Amino acid sequence: MLSLKRDKKEEEEGGGNPFYNLEKSAVLQEARTLNDTPIDPRKCGHILTKLLYIINQGENIGQNEATKAFFAMTKLFQSNDPILRRLVYLGIKEMSKIAQDVIIVTSCLMKDMKGKEEFRGPAIRALCSVTDSTMLQSIQRYMDEAIMDKGPAVASAALVSALHLGKGSHEVVKRWVDAANAVATSENPMVEFHALCLLYHVLKNDKIALFKLVSKSRKFRSPYSYCLQIRIAAKLIEREDAGSNSELFDFIESCLRHKSEMVIYEAAQAIVQLKNTTAKDLAPAVSVLQLFCSSPKPTLRFAAVRTLNKVAIKHPAAVTACNLDLENLITDVNRSIATLAITTLLKTGNESSVDRLMKQISSFMSEISDEFKIVVVQGIRSLCSKFPRKHNVLMTFLAQMLRDEGGFDYKKEIVECIISTIEENPEAKEAGLAHLCEFIEDCEHTVLATKILHLLGREGPRTPTPSKYIRFIYNRVILENAAVRAAAVSAIAKFGAHCEDLMESCIVLLERCQLDSDDEVRDRATFYVNVLKQNQKPLSSAYILNGLQVSVVGLERALHQYTLEPTETEFDMKSVPLATQPLAEQKVRDVPGESASVKPSQDKVAASRQDVYQEQLAQVPELANLGTLFKSSRPLEVTESETEYYIQCVKHTFSNYIVFQFDCTNTLNDQLLENVTVDMEPAEGFEVSKSIPCVNLPYNKPGSTYTLVRLPSEPTQVTGTFACTLKFLVKDCDPQTGEPDDEGYDDEYVLEDVEVTVADHVQRVMKPNFAASWEEVGPENELEDTYSLSTMNTLEEAIKNIIQYIGLQPCERSDKVPEGKSSHTLYLAGVFRGGHDALVRAKLALDSSGVTMQLTVRSTDPNVSEVLATAVA
Amino acid sequence: MGFFDSLAQWLGVRKKEVNVMVLGLDNSGKTTVINHFKPPETKNHDIVPTVGFNVEKFKSKSLAFTAFDMSGQGRYRNLWEQYYKECDGIIFVIDSSDKLRMVVAKDELDLLLQHSELKNRRIPVLFFANKMDVRDAVTSVKCSHLMGLENLSDKPWHICASNALTGEGLHEGVDWLTDQLKEVLERKKK
Repeated sequence: MLSLKRDKKEEEEGGGNPFYNLEKSAVLQEARTLNDTPIDPRKCGHILTKLLYIINQGENIGQNEATKAFFAMTKLFQSNDPILRRLVYLGIKEMSKIAQDVIIVTSCLMKDMKGKEEFRGPAIRALCSVTDSTMLQSIQRYMDEAIMDKGPAVASAALVSALHLGKGSHEVVKRWVDAANAVATSENPMVEFHALCLLYHVLKNDKIALFKLVSKSRKFRSPYSYCLQIRIAAKLIEREDAGSNSELFDFIESCLRHKSEMVIYEAAQAIVQLKNTTAKDLAPAVSVLQLFCSSPKPTLRFAAVRTLNKVAIKHPAAVTACNLDLENLITDVNRSIATLAITTLLKTGNESSVDRLMKQISSFMSEISDEFKIVVVQGIRSLCSKFPRKHNVLMTFLAQMLRDEGGFDYKKEIVECIISTIEENPEAKEAGLAHLCEFIEDCEHTVLATKILHLLGREGPRTPTPSKYIRFIYNRVILENAAVRAAAVSAIAKFGAHCEDLMESCIVLLERCQLDSDDEVRDRATFYVNVLKQNQKPLSSAYILNGLQVSVVGLERALHQYTLEPTETEFDMKSVPLATQPLAEQKVRDVPGESASVKPSQDKVAASRQDVYQEQLAQVPELANLGTLFKSSRPLEVTESETEYYIQCVKHTFSNYIVFQFDCTNTLNDQLLENVTVDMEPAEGFEVSKSIPCVNLPYNKPGSTYTLVRLPSEPTQVTGTFACTLKFLVKDCDPQTGEPDDEGYDDEYVLEDVEVTVADHVQRVMKPNFAASWEEVGPENELEDTYSLSTMNTLEEAIKNIIQYIGLQPCERSDKVPEGKSSHTLYLAGVFRGGHDALVRAKLALDSSGVTMQLTVRSTDPNVSEVLATAVA
Repeated sequence: MGFFDSLAQWLGVRKKEVNVMVLGLDNSGKTTVINHFKPPETKNHDIVPTVGFNVEKFKSKSLAFTAFDMSGQGRYRNLWEQYYKECDGIIFVIDSSDKLRMVVAKDELDLLLQHSELKNRRIPVLFFANKMDVRDAVTSVKCSHLMGLENLSDKPWHICASNALTGEGLHEGVDWLTDQLKEVLERKKK
C-alpha cells in the first residue's frame, strides 16, 4: 500500500496521473457520448477506461446511473474495433454487479463466443458474469464446447468462469465435470491446472472421489497442479485423521523430490502442518527446508525460515538439525530473514547458546521494523519461561530495548514480557522492577506508566528494600501528567499501608500531593492521608490495598437506583453485586503472541456476564423482587448436546433464594412445545416456591423457563441434588410451514440432576495481600481440619480440585506450584452469600499415599466457616 | 483514418450508415429476417431465441445498415426503449400465422409509437407480415387491419408479406426502407 502511494506520487510529479481527480458525475455524464453514432472507437475507449478507473477506485455508483451507462456501453457492440471490444468486455464484467438488466448482452456475447478467436476467451468470462441461474440452461451447451475447445485461452476462460459460477450454486458446476475431466489431461499446463481446480471445487464434498482424484498417479505439466494436489491430499489426511502411513502421505513425500521448487516447498509445508506427525515424518521435510535456507533466492530463504519458525513451536527438536544453516542466516542482508532465523534459534537453542544469540540480535535490533522487534520480544518471553536461570541476560537485553526508540505496541510488548517474567520468576523480580522504574523515568505512554506504577504499588512493598522505589514513584508526581500522578499517589499509599516504617514518610509525601492542581490527584491524596493517619491495619487494607471489589456496572446501577428513591438509610455497599473475577489467570500461556490477543475479549465477557444475567432476570416480573443477584454460575448442560431438546441450566444465587434458569432449545422441526416447565424434586430443606413456564418453544428458537427455590433456613445446609424433569405440551406441526396442530398431548423428558454446591454460594474476590486480610478477619471463627486426599497424585491436581469445590479465588499466585516441590500452601479468598468474608488456607503435602491437606478456614460468620470446611470432605 | 473516411464519404464511394431496430413479438422471425441479409459465409444455420439483443450489419443497394435485433420475449421487451433514441428506422416483424397474439403485437406497437422518444419523430416503420407460407396465415391487408395501421398517419409506413426462410418479400421491404431513409438523409443535408 505504501509503495503504491509512493508510485502515485511519483507519477504526479512526472506529468501526473491522467485520471487523477476524476469526478464520478463527470465521467457518468461523459458516458452518454457512448450513445453517439457513428462511433469513435478511440474516444469511446478513453471514456470506458475512465469509467473502469473510477469503479476500481471504489467509487460507489448508483444502480440507475450504472444501468444507464451500461446500456450506453452495449451500443458499442456495433463497432468491431478490437481494443474497444475488449474494453467493453471489461466494462460488462465490472458493471454486471451494479447495473440492472445486464442480461441484455447475452446474445451479443454468445455470438462473440463463437466468433473471432481473440474475442472468445474474454467473451466467455463476460458472459458468465452477466448470467443468472435462469439463463444457465441455455448457455450450458456452449460452455461445454468451450471447455473442450482446442484453444487453451478459451478452455481456461471457460473453466475459470465455471469455477466462479460454481461459487453461487454447487449444482450448476456439476454439469461440467465430464468436460473438465476430459481436459484435465490437456497438453497445456494452464488448462490442466484450471480443470483440476474446477474438479476439486465440484468434488470437494465427496471424499471418495477426491481420493481418486489425488491418488490417480499421473504426470502433471503444471507445477501449480502439483501444489493443488498436495493441498487436497493434506486436507484429506487431516479430515481422515490418517497419519503418515497413508498413501496420500507417500504422495506428498514423493513431491519433495520434484524438480520445481514451488512444489517442493508446498510439500514440505504440508507435511510440517499436518497434525499428528512424528519427528521421523518431519525429517525429510525439514531437510528440504534446510536446503532452501542456503538457496541464493531470498524468497525461498524467507519461506523456509518462516516455516521452520512455525515448526519450532511444536517440534523444536526437529529443527535443531538446521541450527547451523540458521546461524548463517542471522547475518543475512534481508532483515526479515535474519529476524526469523534468530527467533527460530531462540526456540530451538539450548541454554548455553542464549548469550551468544542475544548478542547477535542486539547487533541489528536497530535496523528491523517494530513488527519484527515484537516477534523477537515474544521469542524472548518464551525463553524467559523456559530458562528461568537466564533471566539476567534476558532482562538486561529487554531493558536495553526499552531504552531504544520504538512504537507503543513494541514498548507494551516489552513491558508485558518483563511483568510476566517478574510474576513467574521471583528471582527476577528486583531486577525487573528496577528496569521498569528506569523506564517510567522517561515514558511517553500514559497507559504503560500507570500500569507499571500499579505493579510497583503491588510488588514493591514486598521487596527487601521498598524504600528505593518511592523515589521513582514520587518523581512521577512531580513530573508527569494528571493520570500518571494519580496512579503514583495510589502507589505511594500502598507502600505506606504495607510497610509500617515507611508510613510516616509516605504521609509526608501524600500531604504534599494534596496541593496538586488536578482534582483526582488531590482527592486521592486526601483520602489516603486520612486513612493512613488512622493507623489501623484493617482500615488500610480494606481501602488502600484491596481496592474496589464490586462490579462497576453493578455499582453504577445500584447508585442510580439509590438516587431515584430517596431514603433515610445509608447506601449499603453489600447490596452491590461483586465483580466476577476474570478467569484469565488460570489459562496456560504457551504461545505468548496468541494468548495476548485473545485475552482482552475474554476478560470483558467474563466481567459482564453476570450483569447481563441480572438484567435478564429483572425482565421477569416474578423474579424482580429477590434483591440483588449474588452469583450466577456458568451454564451447565443437563442434556446431551445431540438429543431432541438441548437444555442448559444456570444457577442464580440470591440471599435467600436460588433461581434455576433453564435455557431450552427444541431441535425437532416437527414439534411445537408449549407451557414448558422443569419439575424439580427438591433436596432436603429446599423448597420449590414457584416455577415460571416458557409459554411456547418453537423449533430452533431458544426459550427460558425459571424455577425459584427457597434456600433452607438452617444456615449450614447449603448443598443438595435436584432431580429434574422437563414437562411440556407437545403439538405436532408441519416441518415446512411450522403450522401446529390444534391439539397436543402432555409429555415429559428426564434431565440430568442439577447439583447445588458450595461454590454456588461464594463469589471469588482477589485479596492482593492475603496475610493482612487473614489477620484482619481474626481467629474467632477459625476452623481447622486435616484431610488426606488419596485420589490425587500431584499437587496441581489437588489444587485444581480444591478450587473447584470451594469456588474461591486463589490469591498471591498460590495456585501455581513451583516445580519439584513436595509441599505447598494455597490461599483462597472470597465472599459468602450474605456478604461474609471467607478466607481459606490449605497447606498441602505430597507423600507416597497421596496428598495430605491441612485446611484452615476463617470467616466473619461461624456458619460460613463450617460450610466451607465441609465443602472438601 | 478520419481523413480517408471523409474522403470516401465525399466521393460517395462509401455507403452512408443508418441504424435500424428490428422489433416484434418472440418467435416472429426477427433474427431470421436479419440472417437472410447477411453475407452467405457468416449466415447462421441454427437460430435460437435471442437473449437481450444482437448487433448485425448488412448492406442494401445504397445504404449500410446496422440492425439492433432485439429479443421479443416478454421479459426483455421493456428494454427496447433503451435503443429508440439512436435509431433511424424500425422494422417491425409480425407473425401473420399467429392471429391469437396479434393483439399483443398491436399493444406493443402502440406503446412503441407513443413512446416519448419516437412520438414526435417522422421515423419510417417497415412491417413484415412474416410466415406468409404457413397455411392459415392472414394476408398483409388483413394484417394491417388487425394491427390498426390505417390510424397511423404521422409516420411513413409500409407493410409487405414475407417469408424469411426463403427471403421472399424481404428485399422489397428493405428497398422501400432504403428509399425512405435516403429521403430523410437528403432532407437533413438541406
